[in-house]
Amino acid sequence: MKIDPVANCPFNNENPPCGDVVLSSRARLARNLEGFPFVHRSTAPDCKEVSSLVHQICEVDDTNVTLEWVDLDELDTLTTEVFVERHLLSPALATATHPRAIAIGPELSRSVMVNEEDHIRIQSIRPGVQLEEVLQDVQTLDVRIEEVIAYAFDEQLGFLTACPTNVGTGARFSVMLHLPGLRIIKDLQRVKNACEGMSLAIRGYQGEGSKVTADLFQVSNQVTLGYTQEQLCSMLANDFLPPVIEWERKARLTILQNQKSKLEDQTFRSLGLLQNARLLSLKEAMQSLGNIRLGICTGIIEDIGIETINQLFIEIHPSHIKWKYGKDIEDEQIPTLRSELIREKLRK
Amino acid sequence: MTSCDYCDKPAMYHDVRIENGAHTTLNLCQEHALEAGISLGPIDLSIVLNVDAPFSQSQQVISCQDCGMTIAQYKETSLLGCPTCYETFSEQLKHVIANVQDNRTQHVGRAPAAASRDVNCHLTIRRLLRELEHAVTQEQYEEAAFLRDELRKIHEGGTIHEN
Repeated sequence: MKIDPVANCPFNNENPPCGDVVLSSRARLARNLEGFPFVHRSTAPDCKEVSSLVHQICEVDDTNVTLEWVDLDELDTLTTEVFVERHLLSPALATATHPRAIAIGPELSRSVMVNEEDHIRIQSIRPGVQLEEVLQDVQTLDVRIEEVIAYAFDEQLGFLTACPTNVGTGARFSVMLHLPGLRIIKDLQRVKNACEGMSLAIRGYQGEGSKVTADLFQVSNQVTLGYTQEQLCSMLANDFLPPVIEWERKARLTILQNQKSKLEDQTFRSLGLLQNARLLSLKEAMQSLGNIRLGICTGIIEDIGIETINQLFIEIHPSHIKWKYGKDIEDEQIPTLRSELIREKLRK
Repeated sequence: MTSCDYCDKPAMYHDVRIENGAHTTLNLCQEHALEAGISLGPIDLSIVLNVDAPFSQSQQVISCQDCGMTIAQYKETSLLGCPTCYETFSEQLKHVIANVQDNRTQHVGRAPAAASRDVNCHLTIRRLLRELEHAVTQEQYEEAAFLRDELRKIHEGGTIHEN
């Protein structure tokens, strides 16, 4: 594979819009091919046929979007796990045994998953608030595919998907939020209420079923039918995000004004821990990084860049550590190597 | 006691069919029978006595003509088997879709552009093969011969007869 699976960070570029509160924006379109059973009812030859059709399209570079084709059966376990930790592959697709693939751009931002729950899942991730941009990314790929492939589509229900929760546009938009301020002033309920009022789902860092870690939250649309892709995108970008970003920034300011010592204590305790610990679990490291990130955003820490923390959020996951230090390292060594990696990055 | 084909509960509904020498059985518990739209009320003796009479609509387990999926199987995974399932189970799915989609039931926005002729041709071949298999199973030999001729025309580069 030509692509470096640890290149770039999905949360970093030069000054991502509203990057202090929003780590990343993501769009995903679910599509299926007409005339084929959905993936879980497909035979291996069906899956291969779907894969081969999509492969032919990805080979053609007529829209300046170069995608590298990777058959997941041929990909080593470690690289597969790195892709999962980057949210480029779902855990289900990584561990499945039927013929499946991913077509991926060199910047690791755009990708097409083949034979996941649906035949095709087109995805784009960008740092900060860039929902309109990620919508544009996936639409470009969608148009390129539909010129050649007949999608399963119904006038009333729209794009037909294996699960009725995706039917209609098949579009899911999500943002990764860092909300430590609202957690500290105990006002997270306001965000949860906003989500409920707009039919948005709020989850932990790893998405569905995951616990909240480092005050990171993933918010996405639940409804996919009855709105256009643009309306769903706008609901998140224009109706939900602006007030939430404002609430979080105000909360940080309030804490800085009223509880500065407490905030400084939390920030420097976390920094002290990460600079000195010799064994770090993922949970402890994530939470401490989240605290330091808040310290950077409120000006308490000035000599560490926010991009260093964003990068560490990804790089301290087990498969990334194995990628850096050698795939043969034992799981028991990971907490030691994680602490080494963090100390090294924080020294720079 | 025989247990349900989809769980370990005792089967309350038993369906045995012999068609073209092939023997198929279906055993369902009360819950899965209800999910499949089968009423387990008092026995209708006319059905028991008239062995040649077709099963009434309410007693048939509806399965998708394209992929064979039943509503009971859908309930197990929450995943449909193929695009045709949306049509086959439209009645049952109406409520599911309204529930998960905030009572929205009509797609708005973009529709896919027409795919190329090659792909449409490929899909027509798949559809004809499926229909041919069905016709042969049902011993509809006249229909099967027609479908075979249609396939031959495509392979020879001729035109596709569209109904």
